[in-house]
Amino acid sequence: MSRTLRLIEKVEGEVSLSYRVENGRLRAVSTSFFSSRGIEKILRNREAMDALVINPRVCGICGHAHLMATVRALESAMGNPKLTAKAEALRELTLTLEMIQNHFKWFFLTIAPLLGMKSPIQAAIEPSRTAASMIAVVAGQYPHNSYAIPGGVVCEPTIREKSILLYSLEKLIGYFTRYIVDTDFRSIEECEKIENILRMDGYLPQAMRLIMERGWERLGRSRDRFIVFGENGIFRQGKSMATRYYPSLRPDYIEESFVPESGANSVRYRGRHYETGPLARAMVAKRPLIREAHRRYGDSLLSRIMARVCEIASLLHYCRELIAGIDLSQESYIEPGEFPQSGVGWGVVEAARGSLIHRVEIEEGLIADYSIITPTQWNLVASDAEEGILHGALEGESADAPIELIFKSFDVCSVCTTH
Amino acid sequence: MAEKKLLLWLSQLACNANAHSLLNHPSLEEFQKSFDWLYHPLLPSLSSLDEILDNYEEMECDILLIDGALCAGLSKKGVRMRDMLEHFAKSCSHILTVGTCATYGGIFSAGGEDRSGLHFDGEKRLDGFSDFFEKSISLPGCPVHPEIVVSVITALAQGGSLPLDSYRRPKEYYGYTVHDGCSRNEYFEYKIDRHDFGHLEGCMFYEHGCRGTYSAGSCNMILWNGVSSKTRVGEPCHGCTEADFPTRGLWRTEKHMGIPARLPLGVSKRAYLSLAGVAKAFRIDRFHRRILEDEE
Ligand code: SF4
Ligand code: SF4
Repeated sequence: MSRTLRLIEKVEGEVSLSYRVENGRLRAVSTSFFSSRGIEKILRNREAMDALVINPRVCGICGHAHLMATVRALESAMGNPKLTAKAEALRELTLTLEMIQNHFKWFFLTIAPLLGMKSPIQAAIEPSRTAASMIAVVAGQYPHNSYAIPGGVVCEPTIREKSILLYSLEKLIGYFTRYIVDTDFRSIEECEKIENILRMDGYLPQAMRLIMERGWERLGRSRDRFIVFGENGIFRQGKSMATRYYPSLRPDYIEESFVPESGANSVRYRGRHYETGPLARAMVAKRPLIREAHRRYGDSLLSRIMARVCEIASLLHYCRELIAGIDLSQESYIEPGEFPQSGVGWGVVEAARGSLIHRVEIEEGLIADYSIITPTQWNLVASDAEEGILHGALEGESADAPIELIFKSFDVCSVCTTH
Repeated sequence: MAEKKLLLWLSQLACNANAHSLLNHPSLEEFQKSFDWLYHPLLPSLSSLDEILDNYEEMECDILLIDGALCAGLSKKGVRMRDMLEHFAKSCSHILTVGTCATYGGIFSAGGEDRSGLHFDGEKRLDGFSDFFEKSISLPGCPVHPEIVVSVITALAQGGSLPLDSYRRPKEYYGYTVHDGCSRNEYFEYKIDRHDFGHLEGCMFYEHGCRGTYSAGSCNMILWNGVSSKTRVGEPCHGCTEADFPTRGLWRTEKHMGIPARLPLGVSKRAYLSLAGVAKAFRIDRFHRRILEDEE
């Protein structure tokens, strides 16, 4: 039986999706990628600090998360030198802002057109540009800076930067109200009823209504297994099998294996595939609204879309706390001492699309081995359609279903996957 | 502008940051009204990439933007990227290589075989697309600053002269060095070697590998995201606009006999040493105090 081949584009590059249609249903779903840039190879035999400059270039939309994973991996290889609270807060802030710009862009540039929504381009551009300039106020520029280095951050913000951050954040909050949901953003975090959101104005309620009118709200359900490695002021580490939560994960239980037909590595935790990303984060952190969406619609495209867009509210709130808490009088950087001649380090962060993991091995002062595991690898790559997360979401689905929407509900990043 | 010019953005081996960076332009919405995208990897476009791959032989554009390192073997859906580039390059009026990868090969050229920029492999001139050299303009940077892309496209659409250097970079943006406009300039001028990360003070030329004085670019004049730059916040310039990016040892200054191995663009060692000698003969107190220190 012949296979259907579809080019899925505008996913930070492209992915080729293929499947067979049997009795009107999708079977043997698989994905493949056109190229790999060989970042891990480029890093080998370089000075460890060079990775701080190379790695953001893995990705144009989540490069800052790659910077943070790199600096943590290097610090872990150095025995975790002490950082000031200020340095930690600045790192958290710029990382969180990167997620905010990602989520706005994804919702308005990727999802809105698939639902036929007529949202203005400003809805994507204004917030992402504001978030990017806030990162630049602290880190010099966005995309592609390397302002976090072992020992802290390179900058020394003053009252000037702090006030720009404060007022720009209020602008961002304004964009949330104007474009996402017309309500106090804090109320989203506490809201437990989907009907309350549906009744409101804004593009999120509009998107939800459109999905429900078409009867798509339960499409795209997968394995109902979620994993979150990063942990910070708003995210909690752990895995969740449906709603049962298991704390504490060990990165050495992660297995990567190359899938030749895909051209990328699949990832498992103790032999099983997991979904990572905002839905996983909301399930593990037990966010009431998303748990309610999950109770009604399962791990569907609607739950995924709601989880990602509503996460913006938590991220904005977190930014507000971080900015208020920054004590400018603290040091930005504490000299961490010499790099060890040899050592191994892990760097784990939550990136916009889910858990991002870096591992560095240093020998004779140079990078002997570097490996990068990205969120889209968790969600998209598997050798067997009976196992993978995307595969679960599409396998057996009707050929008339909104396949591209289901696919893109994962917020796929092609360039990260093959890196 | 009478008729909307048609722009086409084709990504090769890329990270997509050049495309994202463009979205940060302060007047993007207004720019968008004067041009149409046949395809852009993020913005609304007249065609899908899929349609272009299927029918490119019947399509044309006015300005072709190439992003990412070219790779001899790269194809998408069975279409060789090289063939597609060549097709559009023939009929378009201008080609822009957006970013360092498309211009010189950049970071990803070290990740595999047969990777380079459109006309250059590092500094080396290539023959492959030389028929189109005269219509090409190089816009290096990792990523390229969005203002550069927007200003150059606008200037091309309006006609008039665009002075270029030997790498075909517009001199308005690449006729300067990154050092121009850096807030740490005084520490450079008076040869204060000390720089500590996390401090407003100090210049990173002497110890921390700043390549600003010999990298072509205007980061410190036009500023990033309208607000800052790497060197202003305290990160050395890594020379991301240059043909040799990324060099090795990006955070330290290579020295010969205590003197930085690379000197400011066009400055001879003798000129540098004479000026340094004079500057170092004086101790100017202000440069040894913290800027934010309370004064009596
Ligand atoms: S830090 Fe770099 S760009 Fe700034 S003054 Fe020093 S050499 Fe110039
Ligand atoms: S400061 Fe240097 S490394 Fe940074 S963007 Fe400008 S040219 Fe590139």
